[in-house]
Amino acid sequence: MLILGGLALLLFLSAFVAILVGTLGPIGPGEPERITFSEAIDSIFSDSTYHWVFWNVRIPRVLLAGLVGAALACSGTAMQAIFRNSMADPFVIGVSSGAALGAAIAGFLGLTSIAGIGLGMPPLFAFITAILAAFTVYVLGSVKGRVYVDTLLLSGVAVAAFLGALVSFSIYLARQQFHQLIFWLLGSLALARWSYVEILLVVVAIGAAVVYLYGRDLDALLLGEETAHNLGANPEPLKKLMLGVSALMAAAAVAFTGVIGFVGLITPHMTRLVMGANHRLLVPAATLSGAIFLIWADTLARTIVTPDELPVGIITALCGGPFFLYLLRRHSMGRES
Amino acid sequence: MESRKAGAFDVKMLAVIGVVVAATVGFTSGYLIGVAKQPETMSIVDDYGRTVKLSGVAERIVSVSPTPTEILFAIGAGSQVVGVDDYSDYPAEANNLTKVGSFTLNEEIIISLNPDLIVCSDLVPRAKLDKLAIEQGIPYFIFATRTMEDVYKDIRLAGGLTGHTTEADQLVTQLQNRVNALTNKTLATGVSKPRVYIEYYPLWTYGPGSFGDDLIRLAGGTNVAANASSEYPELTAEFVIAQDPDIIVYTVGPMTTTTETEIAGRQGWSGMSAVVDDKIYSMDDNLLSRYGPRIVDGLEQLAEMVHPELFS
Repeated sequence: MLILGGLALLLFLSAFVAILVGTLGPIGPGEPERITFSEAIDSIFSDSTYHWVFWNVRIPRVLLAGLVGAALACSGTAMQAIFRNSMADPFVIGVSSGAALGAAIAGFLGLTSIAGIGLGMPPLFAFITAILAAFTVYVLGSVKGRVYVDTLLLSGVAVAAFLGALVSFSIYLARQQFHQLIFWLLGSLALARWSYVEILLVVVAIGAAVVYLYGRDLDALLLGEETAHNLGANPEPLKKLMLGVSALMAAAAVAFTGVIGFVGLITPHMTRLVMGANHRLLVPAATLSGAIFLIWADTLARTIVTPDELPVGIITALCGGPFFLYLLRRHSMGRES
Repeated sequence: MESRKAGAFDVKMLAVIGVVVAATVGFTSGYLIGVAKQPETMSIVDDYGRTVKLSGVAERIVSVSPTPTEILFAIGAGSQVVGVDDYSDYPAEANNLTKVGSFTLNEEIIISLNPDLIVCSDLVPRAKLDKLAIEQGIPYFIFATRTMEDVYKDIRLAGGLTGHTTEADQLVTQLQNRVNALTNKTLATGVSKPRVYIEYYPLWTYGPGSFGDDLIRLAGGTNVAANASSEYPELTAEFVIAQDPDIIVYTVGPMTTTTETEIAGRQGWSGMSAVVDDKIYSMDDNLLSRYGPRIVDGLEQLAEMVHPELFS
């Protein structure tokens, strides 16, 4: 509980500091000009020049980063439990390639943002195709109502490869939009909006609560399906529920930001290495850690090459990969001795 | 008791009516003052058919593509430009302006520049521009240039946006004179039409409907990719070999790795007319891909490569 409290506090502090970091400062590169701390506080609470920058650029972006990180980490935790495989991630059942195809179709049809409505067509297309892809994988991976995780994993790989080829083909066809698609495939929080934050807040709140409530059943599932059954957890409905909830969270996140890799793979794994596989603790801890990790990764992404920004997926992979390997090595050393 | 209650009720009612009336008057007058303050005195239709409304001539412009940047400076509106994208490096003065990013535009910097207009080419992603337009009321104007006629049109549009219509008209006349002088030679009857292959990246070329295709036509050549399937196709080496171009032009930019020797040395290219006759040339990428006044420089260079005999 102490750890969860600490993580919650760290999340709050991270979000607060991240809101103060940006091209114009008060913390950041400060080009072409830099505002002071008092000007920043002034801009946040009163209607001055940079009020809009804080309330419509930075704050929704930091909140969206936190929510996307939370959604991916929570979804990844559930996926790793039902697949009993620590290499599973939220995208293992085809969500990311499905979403990419939707975004590509929207781009190909020339449906760019419809900012006035607040949601826009590409996210809607991406969400629908992501859910369709996950459902296809689910149907291919289940036999007579039973979900076989190894079949599911393989059909996920096959569907992802097939959809990936379609995405590449649409990039080839839609030359004019290819920059946008490439950026989308690398993941970016640059288009954060309040409507995205609101929608994702609801999805993550419900999704994380459901995964948390079934924490003990996930613990049981890790011991094997038969053992889980003997312990009173019913593996079939549990797997279906977790797949559904995880796919929804991952699809909602990917629809708004593109494919941000590694968060959903690394955060649950790292958290498990540190605090063990008790899901009543692991689910909230991984969710909070995912939020913190992505807030910091995105803060780097939007300041490191100012005035441009890096796709955040590059940062998550660059920071996440080595740290993950370090933890993995340390863990396996411990196992050996 | 009854009357006191009734009296209190009346006072409340009166207060409510008073507040409603005051609010209505206040809002209406505020709205009218607001409307009076920002008269939309100008509306210009951009290359996408969007009507862009301005409260007057644009005085603080952020240009997020090199083409409009070069046009604005060429018509003497450079002092009305306050920010440019990372790629806008011509003329040299543009380099001294605040950079606002490229494909990922930085809203924070754009806001800090307090612009009254953003101009862009049709390659710039529009999501952030929409956000700035809708939430901050900063309109954006799209230039979509495909032919030489579009260049003239865009220069005149830029003149209208900035109040430099005379300079814009003069510039268009100058450019038209140069282009006409050139095409009088290159498009005259009896002049040969050599086969031209331009590559901006190995085997990537300008197809039908693209500006490069129009330039080859004006320079008096035949585009080997004139019947390709898209505006910017990737050709197969076989196709290029079969077309046997008389002239090969490759563009040189920051990403270029191609050289004349590399092209001549490609497998199976040694028998090609352009290779045998040693007619492989390089051109500054910016003179073929930025559709401002400098495109005419590009056209003149290209015409001299295609028809050296006409320009001795």
